[in-house]
Amino acid sequence: MTYSPPSPASKGGCRAASPARSSFLGSRAAGVSMALALTGGVGMACCQWLIYAYAPLEIEMGLVQKIFYSHLPLAWIGMLSFLAVFLGSVAWLWSRKPFWDELANSAAEIGVLFTGLALITGAVWAKKAWGVWWAWEPRLTTALVMWFMYAGYLILRGLGLPENRRAVAQAVLGIAAFLDVPLVFLATRLQRARHPVGIMSSGDGLEPEMRLTIYACLLCAALFWLALLMLRCRLGLGERRAMALARRREEA
Amino acid sequence: MIRFSLVLAAKDLWLLLRGGAAFAQALLLGLLLIFLFSLAASGEEAVGGSGAAVIFWLASAFCQTLIFTALYAVEEGQGQRLGLLLAPVPVQALWLGKALAGLAVLALLQLVFLIALAVFLGRSPEAFPIQGGAMLALADIGIAASGSLLGALARGRGARESLCSILLFPLLIPLLLGAVRVSSMVLAEAPNPALTAALGGEIRSWMELAAAFDAIFLAAALVLFPFVYGEEG
Amino acid sequence: MLRLEGVTKRYGERLILRDIDFHAAAASLTYLAGANGAGKSTLLRIMGGFTRPDQGRVIRNLPPGGIGYLGYETMLYPELTALENLAFWGKTTGRRLPKNALPTMLERMELAPFAHDAVGTFSRGMSQRLSLGRLLLGRPRLLLLDEPETGLDAASRALLLREVLHLRQEGAALVWVTHSPETWSLAGEIAGAVCVLLKGKRLSFTERPGECGWLRTVCGEQAGGGR
Repeated sequence: MTYSPPSPASKGGCRAASPARSSFLGSRAAGVSMALALTGGVGMACCQWLIYAYAPLEIEMGLVQKIFYSHLPLAWIGMLSFLAVFLGSVAWLWSRKPFWDELANSAAEIGVLFTGLALITGAVWAKKAWGVWWAWEPRLTTALVMWFMYAGYLILRGLGLPENRRAVAQAVLGIAAFLDVPLVFLATRLQRARHPVGIMSSGDGLEPEMRLTIYACLLCAALFWLALLMLRCRLGLGERRAMALARRREEA
Repeated sequence: MIRFSLVLAAKDLWLLLRGGAAFAQALLLGLLLIFLFSLAASGEEAVGGSGAAVIFWLASAFCQTLIFTALYAVEEGQGQRLGLLLAPVPVQALWLGKALAGLAVLALLQLVFLIALAVFLGRSPEAFPIQGGAMLALADIGIAASGSLLGALARGRGARESLCSILLFPLLIPLLLGAVRVSSMVLAEAPNPALTAALGGEIRSWMELAAAFDAIFLAAALVLFPFVYGEEG
Repeated sequence: MLRLEGVTKRYGERLILRDIDFHAAAASLTYLAGANGAGKSTLLRIMGGFTRPDQGRVIRNLPPGGIGYLGYETMLYPELTALENLAFWGKTTGRRLPKNALPTMLERMELAPFAHDAVGTFSRGMSQRLSLGRLLLGRPRLLLLDEPETGLDAASRALLLREVLHLRQEGAALVWVTHSPETWSLAGEIAGAVCVLLKGKRLSFTERPGECGWLRTVCGEQAGGGR
């Protein structure tokens, strides 16, 4: 087999077309992802102190309001994951580098997980705030619809389509689903709005301590997310490499 | 390109309406849905406008899956797809042809469903005839545009059954929400004049949303369809 | 007319074709041989533009719709009649056909009596002849043949060969993937035929025109052991 030489783009983009030496599978990338995981993980642990000791107790909601510090990062980073799926899908269709396909798939897995957790934490919040577990509210509904769409995206992977068809189908869905999101949001908003609108916008009534806490939570969660994404992506690429090596041994 | 699409659509319509099980299947499924709901409502309460609208669009959504799966399956048995790809037209002409054929079949089925709604549920369009018709057209165009793109994904044996429903329904949600909402106004009793203006405003926003959906999927299909259908697995 | 430069193709991590250079000129006939799974069909599909290579270039100097493809699959709709099938494929060529083109073509394919029968009732030979008729309506300049002779009787085979060579005389380039020794045995006799063997992911052997005799041995081996 011949392998294309590692290109200059491989620092950020990690061209892993060749199963042989991809910088993304190298030890430096491993170090980076470990460092990110450690920083994010320890940071998230420290955030617990911020959440419970530093940020003041909210008057109306009481202790349940603390769930907001997990809910918001989960929801936002879930969204970020789906953006990553979209970008990965576009990049894969453009370049056909396996890296982008793995990136999109990894991001979708993490996104479905995070959005699922955001839905659960949101339901707990809703029970306390509105007295119901579920309300047909634009952001909640949008998150649920996205969860459905990307769960379908993940199911696509397991359907046993031929490799190229599978990747094309996922990429197309990854793009179509993301384009659909604003429409879903607008449609559900046309029904009726109920969410505490405009959190994190000016005049949302957040105490400065609360704001600092939520920023810290967001940052740590984002670092942790990046670590997860890198690890999952490396795992996928490593799997490919192992398969290629096994096949080569078979052929030899 | 348009001529090619029309030729393709005509051929598909002919195939589907003459011998295709898919058309009968879709028709029966829709009628069955309406009939079942009429049973559920045969007690003291009649099915309201929104109930009828939900049934109508649910049937339409199922039909979309069945129709577009069948439309693309037609090209698989003897490798016809390769022949179509060699035609001197852009690949998107295939998408357009399939979308047109699907649109025609869908409209035909919906006509039958409307009659069935009147017969079984006693619901027929009462208000907003123009807006209702326009919304129907916009929704059908959206269904055809997205169905023709994603139906092409589902070609091939293993994928056919499961794929469409999983992929399509969540994507269709914004369009279906609007279609159901507007249809329920159309199928309900005519509102008093004061309310008509307010509802008219809401219908307009839904129509704008549906138009945006159509535009997005039209554009997405034109860009993505060559990837989906133009190359080998 | 058609040129491949450095074409490489992988399926997943499996390398199918490596760095293939190929050229087909007008009025040429190239036989393409190789063991099962050597990538012949993949190569043909890359030539046709259905499959895109991972590396390398495919240069086609053809009018739109100038590629014809005839494989084992006939591309016909079994529910439609012979005439309807021809009419549909005739329209997709984008060419304006003379009024009697379809009946004439059926006549030429020796299918005139069955014009209004559904293709689903046709035998293999009849279907493939009709498919050939479909192909000829488009007047292809580059003709890709992927073992179209499989399962044909001697008469249909002769008709296929006759029509295809006629196209070549009119200037079309032919690339013919085949396994069957009978087709190969003709290869030696056809003037100017080029024979190419696909082996080890490369086009490893190219004979000078008219010296295709060696292929008979190759194909004999494959017909005996390969299938």
